[in-house]
Amino acid sequence: MGTFDLQIVTPDGLMFSGQAQSLRVRTVEGDVCILPRHINLLTALGMGEAKIVADGKARSAACIGGMLSVMDNHVKLVPTTFEWADEIDAKRAEKAKNEAEEKLSHRDRLTDQELAIAEAKLKRALVRRSVANRK
Amino acid sequence: MAGVSMKDIKLRIRSMESTKQITKAMEMVAASKLRRAQDNVTRSRPYFETLFDTVCEIAASSPAFTSPYLEEREVKKTCYVVIAGDRGLAGGYNHNVLKLAEAEMAGKDVTVVPIGKRCVENFRAHGFEILTDVWFEAGAVSVSDCFTMARDLCKRFLSGEFDEVNIVYTNFVSILVQQPAVMRVLPLHGTGEETDHVSETLYEPDSQELFGKIVPEYVGGLIYGALCECVASEQGARRTAMDSATKNAEEMIDDLSLKYNRARQGAITQEITEIVAGSNT
Repeated sequence: MGTFDLQIVTPDGLMFSGQAQSLRVRTVEGDVCILPRHINLLTALGMGEAKIVADGKARSAACIGGMLSVMDNHVKLVPTTFEWADEIDAKRAEKAKNEAEEKLSHRDRLTDQELAIAEAKLKRALVRRSVANRK
Repeated sequence: MAGVSMKDIKLRIRSMESTKQITKAMEMVAASKLRRAQDNVTRSRPYFETLFDTVCEIAASSPAFTSPYLEEREVKKTCYVVIAGDRGLAGGYNHNVLKLAEAEMAGKDVTVVPIGKRCVENFRAHGFEILTDVWFEAGAVSVSDCFTMARDLCKRFLSGEFDEVNIVYTNFVSILVQQPAVMRVLPLHGTGEETDHVSETLYEPDSQELFGKIVPEYVGGLIYGALCECVASEQGARRTAMDSATKNAEEMIDDLSLKYNRARQGAITQEITEIVAGSNT
């Protein structure tokens, strides 16, 4: 099986650059799997796990927000947050999850904006936790 | 006479020395902050560039689809996001970027989103319309703040509050060179090259919705990138300014020491002359 050129860039730097065999990410529409010679595609990313197979080894990561572009076998993944599973601090994610839940438990006292922030935090924490637990 | 001026000179030397100590310390602080800021710039640059290239590519390659983000409206009102420093003593850094911003704004109907203490104060003093000044301190703005700001700007852009969004920031070219620049963010513009990807490219969900999701992220990414550049530029400018201030202080101290020694020598010579004159009579 062939490979494709994959680049993962985030505001925190270049996370991956090289040849990959497959890439599975969660988009706003659901999971997609990119294989070599995929049709040109442009989509926005959702919140979920990303799985990259490169050199026959699979690595997973928490991948949140941003976009994915496939152009002539060049794949660019531009997420807002991207953390490899082995770099996630599971304890911190757990703590963030509890804090967000705590905050949401009295949601009637929050403004819309605070509510949105707390919900986003909870979602992020859940994604991180599930990715960290799966490694 | 000589005694008084000697004392004066001594005092001046002492005050120069304490000034020198301060500028030296500030230079070292700026240098260490600069190192961190520079790392940040090099780390975020690929993101910044990829984001920019990809969105330009899409905008250029898809003349077929329309999006309110792509549409060039008649410009009635322009929004400027101006990023400057929080503190002074950074040479021409704040002045240069504000001067460029004001030159850009001249004669236009504008609203400003100032970031950085100096910037907020400047636009307030000159009576510009300020959209929001929540982002008071440039150093304290985080990635998520950038995205919040971007979502807000996009919403206002779509509702027609303004027809153009620009960022005025300082490009960190190198430690010694920082260049103020203006970047147009909205509406999007293609690179001008028409490519033939059009028919083959798949957009998920559809192009309209996709743009609605991607563009705020794109704007947020650009603001964050510009901010990183600005923080590094500020520290770079401060380091250079403080370095030259320290050098000037050294020069003055040398000069004053020379004068002091001359005055002292003069006083001794005079004393001897007086003694000799007294013993001769």
